[in-house]
Amino acid sequence: MSLNLGASNQAIERIVLPNGITLIIVENQAANLIAGRFFLKNAGLIWENLPQAGLSHLVAAVITKGTEKLSAIDIAEKVESTGASLGADASTDYFLLSLKTVAHDFPSMLQLIGEIMRSPTFPATEVELEKRLTIQSIRSQQEQPFNVAFNQLRAMMYPEHPYGVSILGTEKTVAGLSRADLQQYHQTYFRPDNLAISISGRITKTEAISLIEKVFGDWQIPPHPLPTRKLSTLSINPSQQSIAQETQQSIIIFGYLASSVYSEDYPVLKLISTYLGNGLSSRLFVELREKQGLAYDVSAFYPTRLDVAPFVSYIGTAPENTEIAMVGLRTEIERLANVRLTETELQGAKNKLLGQYALGKQTNNEIAQILGWYESLGLGIEFDRLFPDNIAQVTSEQVQKVANSYLTKPYISMVGPNFF
Amino acid sequence: MQKLSPTLKQIEFPANVFRLDNGLTIIHQHLCATPVVVADIWVKAGASSEPEQWSGMAHFLEHMIFKGSPKVAIGEFDWAIENSGGIANAATSHDYAHFFLTTAAAQLPNTLPYLADILLHASIPEDEFIRERSVVLEEIRSSCDDPDWVGFQALCQNIYKTHPYKRSILGEQELLMKHSPNQMRCFHRTHYQPENMTVVLVGGIEQEAAISLVNESFSEFSVRSECPSHIIEAEPPLVEIARQELYLPRIEQARLTMAWLSVGAECLEDGIGLDLLSVILAGSRCSRLVTELREEKQLVLDVCSDFSLQKDSSLFTIGAWLEPKDLDLVEKIIRDRLQELRDRLIPEAELNRARSLLYNDYIFSTETPGQLAGVYGYYNTIATVEQSIMYPKIVNSLSAQQLQRIANQYLSPEHYAITILKPM
Repeated sequence: MSLNLGASNQAIERIVLPNGITLIIVENQAANLIAGRFFLKNAGLIWENLPQAGLSHLVAAVITKGTEKLSAIDIAEKVESTGASLGADASTDYFLLSLKTVAHDFPSMLQLIGEIMRSPTFPATEVELEKRLTIQSIRSQQEQPFNVAFNQLRAMMYPEHPYGVSILGTEKTVAGLSRADLQQYHQTYFRPDNLAISISGRITKTEAISLIEKVFGDWQIPPHPLPTRKLSTLSINPSQQSIAQETQQSIIIFGYLASSVYSEDYPVLKLISTYLGNGLSSRLFVELREKQGLAYDVSAFYPTRLDVAPFVSYIGTAPENTEIAMVGLRTEIERLANVRLTETELQGAKNKLLGQYALGKQTNNEIAQILGWYESLGLGIEFDRLFPDNIAQVTSEQVQKVANSYLTKPYISMVGPNFF
Repeated sequence: MQKLSPTLKQIEFPANVFRLDNGLTIIHQHLCATPVVVADIWVKAGASSEPEQWSGMAHFLEHMIFKGSPKVAIGEFDWAIENSGGIANAATSHDYAHFFLTTAAAQLPNTLPYLADILLHASIPEDEFIRERSVVLEEIRSSCDDPDWVGFQALCQNIYKTHPYKRSILGEQELLMKHSPNQMRCFHRTHYQPENMTVVLVGGIEQEAAISLVNESFSEFSVRSECPSHIIEAEPPLVEIARQELYLPRIEQARLTMAWLSVGAECLEDGIGLDLLSVILAGSRCSRLVTELREEKQLVLDVCSDFSLQKDSSLFTIGAWLEPKDLDLVEKIIRDRLQELRDRLIPEAELNRARSLLYNDYIFSTETPGQLAGVYGYYNTIATVEQSIMYPKIVNSLSAQQLQRIANQYLSPEHYAITILKPM
């Protein structure tokens, strides 16, 4: 089966401007719109100091609320009267600004996003407002049992590591953040040599370069170097913890310390998570939902991360089925270390993963996002071609070996009415 | 086979609509730039079609469709579609159930016939029925752990007194335990008939191939059956404030949702007017309630407004997440802002902003074959497919005077339903 879509069909251009900005352009005339993604590399949750957890998120919440020339209302009115969408988000491994417009409005919105990135003022009243709202959001996360269980799991797996905390931070760390922290963060990460811009839509390479040059061309690299940081090392120390809550369902989550996107085991783990947890024909869905009716939601996921990513599998079930669901989930995961997948199973998982990977690049937003993300991870846009090749080469021996190395010692987090 | 032309000549409708002799509607649009095809099959068999005692049947049937037919074994369709790199899923609402697959164009002839067969000839085996019922019960349990879902169900019961929209789509455990496979077969054979179904094909497939594939796959329907009748009574207008308060465990914030009934999908212009009003009230950072309640007075964590177009009495809501002590004040401010919409025309600049947002939102959400197929199928099921492309034109044509009339007609500051959730 072969399905070539979106980015893989179109000409992709990648150039580095004199001031260090990496620019990726995909010309796609299909629809009257342009999507732009602006990645600040090495920003985001991963480089936060634990006492400042939530800093990137707060920067994202306040950065669109004032520049040297424009107030929060000015900015919102400019965006909305154009009918564009413009936003900032902190993510685990990067900080992102995004823009989507009909083609005609792209130049004026690009001008605006340039101003936001280069001269935000972080007004004190806006900082205080967004701090208070963030603290309320942190409390609201406790309303969803899955979030409660996942937060607990994350803290168990990643003690003293940024991945152990929610992107929002904690009530305590957010309360301690100040305007000066936001300004410092901006000075550290917002610089042209730390920026990758990825554009997809109804725009030519020449137009894109000229527009970006106009808005960002005179942005100088500051004299001080980019900070170098070292990640704390993680040790595997599995444990099991439960939180008692009066919920209708028990939530059981298994977490395994797996590996980063740079590891040779990455494609194998991606394939395993697809085999176990993706779609109506996935192993967990068929065995635990279709055949036993234990759950509505049972799945697995393995996110793409710069540092050691978690491999996660979960099930929500009636309290009286907690034990049987837990055994079932564990048995299915550990089976992979003991039993080799058949050729049909392996090929099926590959077809599914590759098909869905291609289908995930249909919109301009999706195309701009994935290429910019790979660039910001330092993998380069080639990774978009390499990844499917790597998947195609995975063998059942590798699946078994990788399952043996990573998927035998789970951290287990539970939330439900019958735990004490 | 008859080709239906768009009702309005000035609109250039990009898709083609056909009706087969058996009554089945086909909507097709060829997109040459994509190798993907989406098939989205819409059935007028949502929760509103259920006899009251059969509550939950439409959604449960959606699950059972995937359990196969005499010709297609359990899991065979799932494997066929996913093993060829495609995706399939389904959803049930009050007005419809729909089933969709996304696949490489070349794989469509190997997958669509499976989906058609399980849709038209679902076996609904007894043992699978019992097993899958546990899955539906888990879905209900999981939803009950979500306070926003609980709040929305309570609101629907509060605002709808007679219409089936008051019922949960998922049904209730007690009633589900009483349903039998025979009743479900009866529901299936009554409603999964050609005149109730629309097959939408959008993407890299040409017209002739599309029509012929649908013709072959959707030719033999099940022998008709006849369900107990279901009567949908028109929902009477609200003549007071219908107030409801619930105390929930484990919630950190109180919620307030105010709601108003409006027209059904037949009156699209008023519906789109309400869409514009929801944007003006709370649809963006500049909107009136977000500015006042979130940014200036800082009374809410968030405030939003939503208009959901339905076949019958559509629903307009304003919701806020806030501290319990601010509930009365926020409710009063919202009423005052509604009164303002009645008293004063919306300034042109503000109206233009809302128009741009909705107009572009429409462009942004009709980019992929899947999005297009969804829009066509949805409109053809609750109204007519041509209305789907009139949306942007109507958005730009509605005047401040018309919006004032619409606010007057539907958004009363005196008559509404309000559901409040408080922490226990």
